[in-house]
Amino acid sequence: MDVRFDEVLFRRGKRTVLDVPAMEFASGRVTALLGPNGSGKTTALRLIAGLERLHSGRVTVGGTEVRSAADAAPNVALAFQRAVMLRGSVRHNLDLALRFRDLDLTRRQVRIEAVSNACAFGHLLDREARSLSGGEGQRVNLGRALALQASVTLLDEPLAGFDAEARREMTLRLPGLLRQFGSTVIFVTHDRDEALRLAEDVVVLREGRVVAKGEAATIFAQPPDAETAAYFGYTVMRCGDRTTAIAPGGLRLGEGDVCFDVLVERVLSVSGVVEGVGSHAGAQILFRIDPSQLTPAPGDVAVVSSEARSVVRFS
Amino acid sequence: MEALWDGLREALRLIAHGDATLRAVALRTLVVSGVATLIAAFVGIPVGYWLARGRFRGRTLVLGLVNTGMGMPPVVVGLVVWLMLVRSGPFGDFELVYTKRGMVIAQVIIATPLVAGFAAAAFQSLPSELPDLLATLGASKFRTLWLLGREARIGLLVAFMAGFGGAISEVGASMVVGGNLQNSTRVLTTAIVTETSRGKNDVAIAYGIVLLAIAFAVNLIFTTLQQRSR
Repeated sequence: MDVRFDEVLFRRGKRTVLDVPAMEFASGRVTALLGPNGSGKTTALRLIAGLERLHSGRVTVGGTEVRSAADAAPNVALAFQRAVMLRGSVRHNLDLALRFRDLDLTRRQVRIEAVSNACAFGHLLDREARSLSGGEGQRVNLGRALALQASVTLLDEPLAGFDAEARREMTLRLPGLLRQFGSTVIFVTHDRDEALRLAEDVVVLREGRVVAKGEAATIFAQPPDAETAAYFGYTVMRCGDRTTAIAPGGLRLGEGDVCFDVLVERVLSVSGVVEGVGSHAGAQILFRIDPSQLTPAPGDVAVVSSEARSVVRFS
Repeated sequence: MEALWDGLREALRLIAHGDATLRAVALRTLVVSGVATLIAAFVGIPVGYWLARGRFRGRTLVLGLVNTGMGMPPVVVGLVVWLMLVRSGPFGDFELVYTKRGMVIAQVIIATPLVAGFAAAAFQSLPSELPDLLATLGASKFRTLWLLGREARIGLLVAFMAGFGGAISEVGASMVVGGNLQNSTRVLTTAIVTETSRGKNDVAIAYGIVLLAIAFAVNLIFTTLQQRSR
């Protein structure tokens, strides 16, 4: 099922949290919702799940307008960022969720076995759910949403709460899980690499507005503006009125056609070689000064050129 | 001190001999306060949920009123209910004044804010995502309340015990609304006042001990349930 936002406006008090004229999440695709804190990512998920009331516009799931959680529930599953469990065992928690889908006992048991094995928490099924550690709880939280095999699965930071090792393991496991249990999947993340590994499409939100949407590889290769590029981890450099963004690991030593301004702090002369120490956007830069050029003084702004690959230029 | 020992002896004698008056007054007390507490729980728990989860204008004001109601003087409640139920009052046609049903109404008004206030605190202590989780799973409003009630049952049992405590221990409202009529509306608290004014301190102490025993027995049952829920 596809998910559409049409002329959506959502406010909290006087603050506009989400203002989206049009946005579509294609059926059967895995989409990452990216953006800094407060950009409206979680609100977007909550609107799809019918947990928030819109001020204007409409959200539809498979063509049906979502006005409340009851409208969304038959087609949508949501894993919250924080793993919230009811009293009782892990098995009871999963079973309760499936009972709302009117599945008979046998099918519920089969579903619980399948998802607990796939998410690697089969050994936790008879444990008290509220005694689980953060990572274990998050695994069960994810499993509960996937077990529903909903037409639209929403995951709010599915890898938050895992330690580094478990996070690596789940990053490898998740694509298979989403293929096996998910259909249309929309997940919120802050992590560019996580989005690249898991998502086919990305939507980038900033201050409640969509600033980029499209195929993940394309959007990451061509961020729409310097701010988005910086959010993706690009090194953004300014030279006069030109802005250049260099992909992570793209900056190379040596002369090239990428230039940026450096605020000179010190000038050193060692064995006839003149070098400068300065800063650009908070980073310390060591640069060589061409002896044929005028030597800059501390406090001057020098233009430094370098070689780089994966460069995006903004006017 | 001697009066106290006399009272204890008299209490034991009345209890051991199964004194008919004592039994009737104790049973009436249990029924009136028990029914009032059940009604208060039926009303107060959903109100507590609404106060805990609702996002509406004036919520803080309503919560403040409920919290004030938790300390409402029973005699004032009794006076207002009496004015409502007395023959010349707006509900005089129902002929509820000086009846057990009238006393139940007064005790419901005393116990409901207690139940609602403690229930609101119990529901507020649950993770805020829990109602949202149940909503996304497709739970109806009634099922959500039921499942959240199970999650908050320790706090809700406290609410129930507070409501029962408020109802069974009040004297002013029962006296004003019930009239303390022998064989009709006399309950343990009003009986204690009557016997004390008659100078029968030993009998008053006997009633007091039975009142404490009932309160203790009921609270023990609910405390056991509460501790099993941990």
